[in-house]
Amino acid sequence: MSIHPFKMLQRPVQVAVTALLFSSVSTGALLARDQPVQGGTLVYLEQQAHTNLYPPAGGFYPNSGILNQITDKLTWQNPDTLEIEPWLAESWDVNSDATEYVFKLRPGVTFSDGTPLDAAAVAKNFDVFGLGDKERGYPVAEAINNYEASEVIDPLTVKFTFTAPAPGFLQATSVIGSGIVAPSVLEGPYEELGDATKIIGSGPFVVESEVLGQNLTLKAREDYNWGPLNIGHEGRAYLDAIQFIVTPEDSVRIGALLAGQADFIRQIQAYDEPQVEAQGYLIHSAPTRGVNNNVTFRPENPLVGDLRVRQALTAATNTEEIVSTLFSAHYPRATSVIASTALGYVDLSDRLAFDPDRARALLDEAGWTVGADGIREKGGTRLELSAYESLPQPQNRATLQLLSQQWAAVGVKLNVLAGDSGSATQDNLDPLKTPIRPAMVGRADPDVIKSNFYPTNRDSLLQKGGTNPNATWEDPQLNELLLAIASEPDTDKRLDLTGEVQSYLLDKAYVIPIFEEPQVFAGAPYVHGIGFDAVGRPSFYNVWLAPR
Amino acid sequence: MTATIANRIGQAALVLLLAFTASFLLLQALPGDAILIKYQNPEMGLSPEQIAEIRLRYGADAPLWAQYGNALWNVLQGNFGYSVQAGVPVNALLATNLPPTLRLASLGLLVAVLLAGAVAFAATLAPFRWLREALQSLPSLMIAVPVFWLGIMLIQLFSFRLRLVPVINPSELQALILPVATLAVPIAAPLAQILIRSLDEAELQPFVAVARAKGASRSSVLWHHVLRNALLPVLTIAGVLFGELLAGAVVTETVFGINGLGRVTEQAVSNQDTAVLQAIVVLAAAGFVLINLAVDLVAPLIDPRLQRSTEALA
Repeated sequence: MSIHPFKMLQRPVQVAVTALLFSSVSTGALLARDQPVQGGTLVYLEQQAHTNLYPPAGGFYPNSGILNQITDKLTWQNPDTLEIEPWLAESWDVNSDATEYVFKLRPGVTFSDGTPLDAAAVAKNFDVFGLGDKERGYPVAEAINNYEASEVIDPLTVKFTFTAPAPGFLQATSVIGSGIVAPSVLEGPYEELGDATKIIGSGPFVVESEVLGQNLTLKAREDYNWGPLNIGHEGRAYLDAIQFIVTPEDSVRIGALLAGQADFIRQIQAYDEPQVEAQGYLIHSAPTRGVNNNVTFRPENPLVGDLRVRQALTAATNTEEIVSTLFSAHYPRATSVIASTALGYVDLSDRLAFDPDRARALLDEAGWTVGADGIREKGGTRLELSAYESLPQPQNRATLQLLSQQWAAVGVKLNVLAGDSGSATQDNLDPLKTPIRPAMVGRADPDVIKSNFYPTNRDSLLQKGGTNPNATWEDPQLNELLLAIASEPDTDKRLDLTGEVQSYLLDKAYVIPIFEEPQVFAGAPYVHGIGFDAVGRPSFYNVWLAPR
Repeated sequence: MTATIANRIGQAALVLLLAFTASFLLLQALPGDAILIKYQNPEMGLSPEQIAEIRLRYGADAPLWAQYGNALWNVLQGNFGYSVQAGVPVNALLATNLPPTLRLASLGLLVAVLLAGAVAFAATLAPFRWLREALQSLPSLMIAVPVFWLGIMLIQLFSFRLRLVPVINPSELQALILPVATLAVPIAAPLAQILIRSLDEAELQPFVAVARAKGASRSSVLWHHVLRNALLPVLTIAGVLFGELLAGAVVTETVFGINGLGRVTEQAVSNQDTAVLQAIVVLAAAGFVLINLAVDLVAPLIDPRLQRSTEALA
């Protein structure tokens, strides 16, 4: 007779033991789902290939997707609180008028080629970012204003001096454009930095191989141990490798994600979101916290030089209709010049109310009478405006077309031009050809408004002294305000000024903000830990892949 | 013989020079230029002075004849200049991108020839009239289908639904299947059309009646006797097919995201990258010239009657 030990146990004990075994297995499975798993390769589909990996060229999102994994910055802007926290720099001192910054660096940081990341390296980086290098073709970084010089005080202490107050510099050290690279990288000409394998940074990932224009492989850096404190974990990245693959066609990108051939993709249009969500995949929408997607006027053009015309067009714009027709819940309506998640935002939705009657009244007052074909005219001139669509902005063509429909209801004709890049770029410099231009800038600092409107920056309004050499129109009061924001060292005063300039821009109706533009990504449900910086650039440091 | 060769080479050189000059003038006539597009881009955040300096460095505002002379002199030395958008010499760009496109194009042509042959033979040998007419209208359908739509549909069906071929991270062989199929369809269409017509015409020739009288089956006659005669009109459209191959490659490479001359062309057009576009025009012109030369040399081999007439002339 054989003995079956299990059967000999009393029945309740049998049940108890079985239950214990099952619960330990399921708890183990649960734990496995919540605990980060080391290893694996993330397949990430980008819409466009990177152009150049000189850190200040990181404004272009495909460039920043790579730069954000392979370089670190002096400071880290916490995406939730927008506070500046230590990263490569442990602490810093700013003098009272923000013309001198001293940073104390964290010891023990090395570049991926083994060389130390010390004050000399940081100084060299910012000398190039702040002053440019004409010989090698390095442009000055957009985020850094009034840079004068750097000084190495000791191997872990570096000082920066400015010719005029530069209150935005601290935040500028945290943007993608201030990623620190090994000094040897900045020895060669600008064009060479299009080759990703030449970029040596201190980041959690390192470029392993590249097929230019097609794909790129990053592998994790084993000895990485200097992430920002609050980023989520310490030590090397969970992933072993990331594969960036350039997939320009929207349907192929989304289809590949849903078919399990890719794990994470960038750029998914609002109208494609439902099919992704229907399959249980996740939409990650990251705000860019800067100047909202808008149309800007060029007041030099006499048609829109009249304040009443601009105010009328603002009142004739139904942003609610645009957002609900073309976009999704991830694209909030604009309630001011900058996003509601931006620093210094003030709610000015009362100035952006949709009121077609008021629009008609203003246009009548300005002397524009409705002609036979429904378009207003005055003294033989029709109120007909043109704008070129802006390709980087999502569904910009459709947005402008809907806008055109809305404005036609009050008697204004808007021509939406596609045009090849050559004529579009050239005509956008001429206010007579383009009285309106769509625009948007992503940067989580009040300096972003200056970036958009100041003549020597992006100069959306085409003022005198800016990108249009024949410009005669300018608004000195606006420029004064913009400069004041960029040079006010006191934070509270700076935020006040930011509020003031938003009101000023909308009082003068220079710009019609439409919606807060996010960066939209889609990911598989087994991809955990995706993070974004303050302006929606992806960070894969915390990413881990759950077993499928 | 040497006179003819020298003649042909002279003609070829003239064609290339004309292509180069014409493309130069047309590209210069367009508003804006590559430097404007690349550096005027607000994302770069450059000031007007910086942009002016860059233009000076590239010699973008030099007088037209100076730029033309410079470019021509460089091309004669084999240097096609510099791609503003990519930031690399055009020669390097061509060296990396020409081989994959050549591979795609030659495989596409091969599959197209097989496909056209299959359609033409099926159409000619079809037993029922309705079948024959349906197959005869197939080439029109094949040419009417837009290449990009076909590519996307093939991906959706074979890669995403049926999961037969991966689009992301494919092996070398897998990466060729769908693009070659996409490219082959619009190339096969004119080939099939012409082959069907010329097979029909050749079948009416007296020697076919002789062969049939001697007891050969219809398909055997088609294969052994008629095909060689029908091939000549097909060869004459080889130049047209080459142009279709280039156009198809542009769209196919963009849809499938593969590197190649087609993608380079598409990006160069968007960015008005003059140096790259001129290099591509010169290459395409050279391709046409070579293909025409090849056709002229091969034609007498296929049709001996041509050989005798050229001998009579020489």
